[in-house]
Amino acid sequence: MNRPHDRDDELDAELASHLEMAKRDRLAAGESADDAKHNSRREFGNLAHVKEVTRDGWAGATWERIMQDLRFAFRSLRRVPLFAAVAIATMALGIGANTAIFSVIDGVVLRPLPYPHPERLIYITSRFPAMNLDHFPIDLGEYLDLSERNHSFASLSAYTLGAVNVGGTAHPTRVVSAAMVGDLFHALGVAPAIGRGFTEADSHPQAPPVAVLSYEVWQSVYGGDRGLVGHSIDIDGVTTTVVGIMPKAFDFRDQGIRIWQPFTYDPAQRDQFRGGHFLYLLGRLKPTVTLATARVELQSLLARWAADDGVPATVAPNQRRLHTPTPQHALRYDDLQADMVGSAGPALWILQGAVGLVLLIACANMANLLLVRAESRRKELMVRAALGAGRWRLVRQFVAESVILSLAGGLVGVVVAQWGLHALLAANGGSIPRATSVHINLAVLGFTVVLAVGTGLVFGSVPLLQVRRESVSGALRNSESRTTAGTARHRVRNALVVAEMALAVMLVIGAGLAIRSFWKLMQVDSGFDRSNLTTFNLVLPAQQYADSNRRIALFESVISRIKAIPGVKDVAAMSGLPPQRPINANDTKFIGLPTGPNIPMQNVDYWQFVTPGYLGTMKIPVVQGRGFEPGDGPMQPPVVLVNEALAKRFFPGQSAIGRQVQPGGSPAVFTIVGVVKDVKQQGLDASVGTELYIDYDQTPLDMGFTPRNMNLVVRSTQSTAALAAPIRSVLADVDPELPISSFRSMDDVFAAATSRPHFLAQLLSGFGAIALLLAAIGTYGVLSYSVSERRRELAIRMALGAAKSGVLSIVLRRGMTLAAAGVGAGLVGALIVTRLVRAILFDVSATDTVTFVVVGLFMAAVALVACLIPAWNATRVDPITALRTE
Amino acid sequence: MPRKPRPSDSRIEVLQGTLDLIILQALRWGPAHGYRLLQLIRSTTDGVLQVDTGSLYPALHRLARQRWVSAAWETSENGQRVRVYRLTPSGTRQLAIERSRWEQLGRAIAGMFAAPVKEDA
Repeated sequence: MNRPHDRDDELDAELASHLEMAKRDRLAAGESADDAKHNSRREFGNLAHVKEVTRDGWAGATWERIMQDLRFAFRSLRRVPLFAAVAIATMALGIGANTAIFSVIDGVVLRPLPYPHPERLIYITSRFPAMNLDHFPIDLGEYLDLSERNHSFASLSAYTLGAVNVGGTAHPTRVVSAAMVGDLFHALGVAPAIGRGFTEADSHPQAPPVAVLSYEVWQSVYGGDRGLVGHSIDIDGVTTTVVGIMPKAFDFRDQGIRIWQPFTYDPAQRDQFRGGHFLYLLGRLKPTVTLATARVELQSLLARWAADDGVPATVAPNQRRLHTPTPQHALRYDDLQADMVGSAGPALWILQGAVGLVLLIACANMANLLLVRAESRRKELMVRAALGAGRWRLVRQFVAESVILSLAGGLVGVVVAQWGLHALLAANGGSIPRATSVHINLAVLGFTVVLAVGTGLVFGSVPLLQVRRESVSGALRNSESRTTAGTARHRVRNALVVAEMALAVMLVIGAGLAIRSFWKLMQVDSGFDRSNLTTFNLVLPAQQYADSNRRIALFESVISRIKAIPGVKDVAAMSGLPPQRPINANDTKFIGLPTGPNIPMQNVDYWQFVTPGYLGTMKIPVVQGRGFEPGDGPMQPPVVLVNEALAKRFFPGQSAIGRQVQPGGSPAVFTIVGVVKDVKQQGLDASVGTELYIDYDQTPLDMGFTPRNMNLVVRSTQSTAALAAPIRSVLADVDPELPISSFRSMDDVFAAATSRPHFLAQLLSGFGAIALLLAAIGTYGVLSYSVSERRRELAIRMALGAAKSGVLSIVLRRGMTLAAAGVGAGLVGALIVTRLVRAILFDVSATDTVTFVVVGLFMAAVALVACLIPAWNATRVDPITALRTE
Repeated sequence: MPRKPRPSDSRIEVLQGTLDLIILQALRWGPAHGYRLLQLIRSTTDGVLQVDTGSLYPALHRLARQRWVSAAWETSENGQRVRVYRLTPSGTRQLAIERSRWEQLGRAIAGMFAAPVKEDA
């Protein structure tokens, strides 16, 4: 009874019985059979119309009507496969791009972190505003103080990152490790999949070494052996008991942590750790506490901290603020997710905005296509209107068709998105935080469906503007004399082309700005010659290389053997690899400079431990004084080099040469013997930090600290790939147990450091190109159609002697007027909108004149090409055939 | 024999909003199908009120949806299956409402005509 065809059938039957009774009455009154039939029909009126309006009155029948409309639309689209294919492809592109970017936004920004109550997870770092340090690690003393004093957190845990060699003997693997204070697993709310986490006893300095492995290391190194828990493995040469395995894909802050170990310390000696900032904190708020209240509590903690905590008397007054949080050296609480997403958030929203524009342009094109189709269907529409189809019914028909097209587009779009997303993550996963949580899931599919139906409704209703404006009788008149077709319906199409052009201009300008800023970033002087450099990382296991002299000997041996490889010109080792190394130094005493509570601290951003060949290998020029020389050996007077930024900061207007310095409170006094050119250590887009170079060979006696983790750089005429085998064999010769990691060319290191701007520039130019193409097609389509409409007029003009150039200019003028309006509107729009992309620009103004002018001209040129083809076709109109066929 | 009014001279289009009243009132006399209703309306108003099928059927379906009338398939005296409409209790109540509204309107208009014209006095 409620099924659609039943209801339709019932209405048919009801009306048929009406006609039947009317006919009978007429027969009974003596009319002939023919007359009775004819007259009863005439009296009844328009049967189709009666059915139509009655059906329209059926509420609750909306769904039936929608299905009916969709079926009809589907049938009529099947008759125009080319049109449908073009339309679906356009929408697939637009919707697919939106789906892909939205799935990234969903996974990165919108989806909560995969921990219970992620909104209560707070990431805690410190800041030193005076030193321009933000998100800086905190020290163990601070962590312990905070744990004892705060009332906001249910649990607090800290960790520090490192790298260890696992697997022992033959082929050790180098993995990222984390040492944690407190129970990070508990704070996160994730328990090991097998075994246990750490207990307080595990952090005791004398406790036997234990470790929890990530699922990934357990699988790849130990083959997923379930018996591994409880047994020992070799970590950095230390026999360590595996107590647990974390669940698959468990990580923290995308750091690729593969091994978890307890940080061992003696709580009684917490003050020894003060000033050593190396811990990142995670706190889980109590259920009743919000981030805002926790911050309020922090303020009052900071105000009393220094007073409550006796800073050891050994700490110089001007250093105290490094050792105890105060309002000047504050801790900061950030929502963990917001902190992880960081600057990627704005970048992703910019991309979403850009694909949104692409979709709008695609919609404008679709609307134009449908308009043209509506034109060509005027006769069909007239006939149907005459047969009783109401205007609303015809309107629904258009919308049904466009919704079908956009849904089909959406379907293909999901495939496009899946493919695009795969490519996107494969190429740029590193520059997207939380990349592993990016998937096309139900939420994303829901977004796609809403988008498809929404856009279908939008572009489907554009032709209605025109249908509404003209009566059916108007359509009849116009179809008889097409040349007099009103300009009203051209207005809609022209407006669409102008809008498309304007949107495309805005998008291409956005892409242009991103490209220009990426280009500028690539032009930044990194401070050394980064071509033909190969680099890799070596970490000497603490156990086997406990003796500093053994470390020095190893590097000397490795360097001299690599130097002997054919094609290698120079080799050196350094502790920190530019251009993205973390700040690693702070307290450095410059002898002779005044100190005091009100004088800024003598903070140095970087200590760089280098082997003597460093400056030559990197091709870093010495600006003043000299570089390290063979004579600066272990037994010689200790010397250091500084960079220009350091010389300028501490010795403005004076020479730094001959000044003396004690890095990190080392007993020895180093003399500055040279000033070298600045190297970009903290990112190409950041200003240069102050840097102190220390000779690796001089470290044991004078600093008491010889780094185990060094990066080697090899300058060679050979490619990085060609060097891999000989370098590996050198290492195998020297110490087969040393794993090499991060073997790559310096160009790749820089590419990784600039991957986000690169990714943005690439995607934005991709979207810009699609926008450009769509806008050009749109312009071309509208002009071609208008030429075909005006064939008769043009033919008459030519028959009356108009020159080809005249006809050409008529069409061109019309097209270029539209294009100029579009480009103009786009430039104005871009002036307003580009301020939104400022966050992703480097050294380029959001209203960069060069970009605006170049894009404006370029778009005008593209429009000209799009206009030239129909204009050229117009000149080839043969007056006689044109007039005859009309 | 009085001349039957021809549709063209005194035919009145059913006033907007009164169609429901007319149908409900017609059904008060007994159940009827659509064709009978048209005949009833025409004959009881001497052909003055003309309801066309394009208004009648949507109205019947609308009234059925509001449950003021019920509809059922029945077999007519000459063996034909017809859809017969009946007034429901709520339809009867609705008729009373519509009727009192109509009478109010009638009285108001009659009052206007009955008012004395001042200039004659």
